[in-house]
Amino acid sequence: MRRRADDAPLLLTFCEAGHAPAGPLAPTSRDQLVLSNIEQAAADFDELQRSDARASRPRSAAPKIGKRGLQLLSWLAPILIAAIWELLAQAGWLSPQVLPAPSKVIKTAVKLATSGGLLNDLGVSLLRAIAGFVIGGSIGFTLGVLVGFSRIAEAAIDRSVQMIRAIPFLAVLPLVIVWLGVGEAEKIFLVALGVTFPIYINTTLGIRQVDPKLIELGRVQGLGPLQLIRRIVLPGALPSILTGVRYALATAWLALVVAETIGAQSGIGFLAMDAREFLRTDVIVLTIVIYALIGVAADGIARFLERRLLAWHPNYGGGR
Amino acid sequence: MTLHVSPPLASPASATPAVVVSNLRRAYGERIVIAGLNLRIARGEFVALLGESGCGKTTLLRALAGLDPIQGGRILAPRRPAVVFQEHRLLPWDNLWRNVALGLVAPDARERAAAALAEVGLGDRLDDLPRNLSGGQAQRVALARALVQQPELLLLDEPFAALDALTRIRMHDLVRELVARHRPGVLLVTHDVDEAIALADRILVMRDGAIAFEHSVTSTTAISRAELLAELGVRSSRAPA
Repeated sequence: MRRRADDAPLLLTFCEAGHAPAGPLAPTSRDQLVLSNIEQAAADFDELQRSDARASRPRSAAPKIGKRGLQLLSWLAPILIAAIWELLAQAGWLSPQVLPAPSKVIKTAVKLATSGGLLNDLGVSLLRAIAGFVIGGSIGFTLGVLVGFSRIAEAAIDRSVQMIRAIPFLAVLPLVIVWLGVGEAEKIFLVALGVTFPIYINTTLGIRQVDPKLIELGRVQGLGPLQLIRRIVLPGALPSILTGVRYALATAWLALVVAETIGAQSGIGFLAMDAREFLRTDVIVLTIVIYALIGVAADGIARFLERRLLAWHPNYGGGR
Repeated sequence: MTLHVSPPLASPASATPAVVVSNLRRAYGERIVIAGLNLRIARGEFVALLGESGCGKTTLLRALAGLDPIQGGRILAPRRPAVVFQEHRLLPWDNLWRNVALGLVAPDARERAAAALAEVGLGDRLDDLPRNLSGGQAQRVALARALVQQPELLLLDEPFAALDALTRIRMHDLVRELVARHRPGVLLVTHDVDEAIALADRILVMRDGAIAFEHSVTSTTAISRAELLAELGVRSSRAPA
């Protein structure tokens, strides 16, 4: 009883001390910190949904510290956490089997990279992701355009697609392995499956949302059906399509992680599974970091595309 | 040997017609919107169409533009009349010259778009995006887009209704000038009696799905505002002079 009464205020002060600096920085540090790949993917989704709201949120603190100061401040927590992690590992309080020091992970990265194995595995993983993305993206886009334009195509296709979409795409993994084995085809298939639906849904949605008044204008100006699609419908649907691309990139990555943990002979996931056999936590942490970095890079590409292709759009381009 | 083709519905007084409408009918379900309407607009003639909300003005314009099907009667109109809507309807992703050249099939589309933009006073904004324009400027681009097609018939669907009073007056001057130069037949649908008086050669008032009143504006016969307002069902004593 007494202990608890004593603990309570202590716990409270601990929370406050721990919360005050971490609170406002939490989202940013979550983006940068490697937790696990699935959490990374989940964080990416959160980030996608937040990014719009964040842009317009008024910030009272901004004028005092300045934009640069805030930028620096946002990096403080991740750097601090890495430093503490390093210290704990150096002091021997963190067993290398549990969590190796960041410096050790970097050393491992350099060693694996110079011996050539790492770059090869990275290339293999990227190729799988790209192949799956291109195949799934093409299918999703084509179906999306068909359904977006034609009520008949919608009646014929949409219900089936929605039914398949209701299945969590990772749940079909055992079936895919039975069909395709554990080779490249299985991995690419899984990525493609994960990519198809976000692209499909956002393409359909984007086409549906094109302002009918602009389409009417196109008819008044004498555009043929193909010109109408090229000049008005696709540009109008592009913001939504690119949102689909961002979601699809996150899904593709998740699919690849899962596919590569099963029966891979090469690739980043293989590296991690192989390291697990030998309790090489430094290599495992390295693969997790690589997954995270590529996820960030993919998101960067998507943002770049949005800035370039949607320069006309007040919410994306340099309109602010 | 020369073949003389007699013009349809020849009337010696007027020039070549830009559009001829005879006995037009249009209904939405049970509700008859246009009931046997006749209309003829010559090339170079500026016709203003007044009427209360829901009297079928816009329905008529959309039928002439080929946007809505008709259910009876005949419309003899050019294959592609140009339309300026109440909203500018510029494509936000295309710069101004590409907006003006939309649907223009010509090797020198850019030059023609540039010339049209210069005519509306925006010749230095070819590569600008529509979002950088004011409401009046955007509507001027919409006018350029309509005129670059060199239409025989120009349909204006309350194009100045959303503009402020000063901008509207400037737009009136611009439209008068452009129409005088390009000489299309013009049908202006509007609520604004003053606008009709300021711009039109002929003022029509539509009621019960047909033309109920017609007045030709010539230099000798000016029509009073009150007279027109009375035709629109507004008592002149209540209207400001």
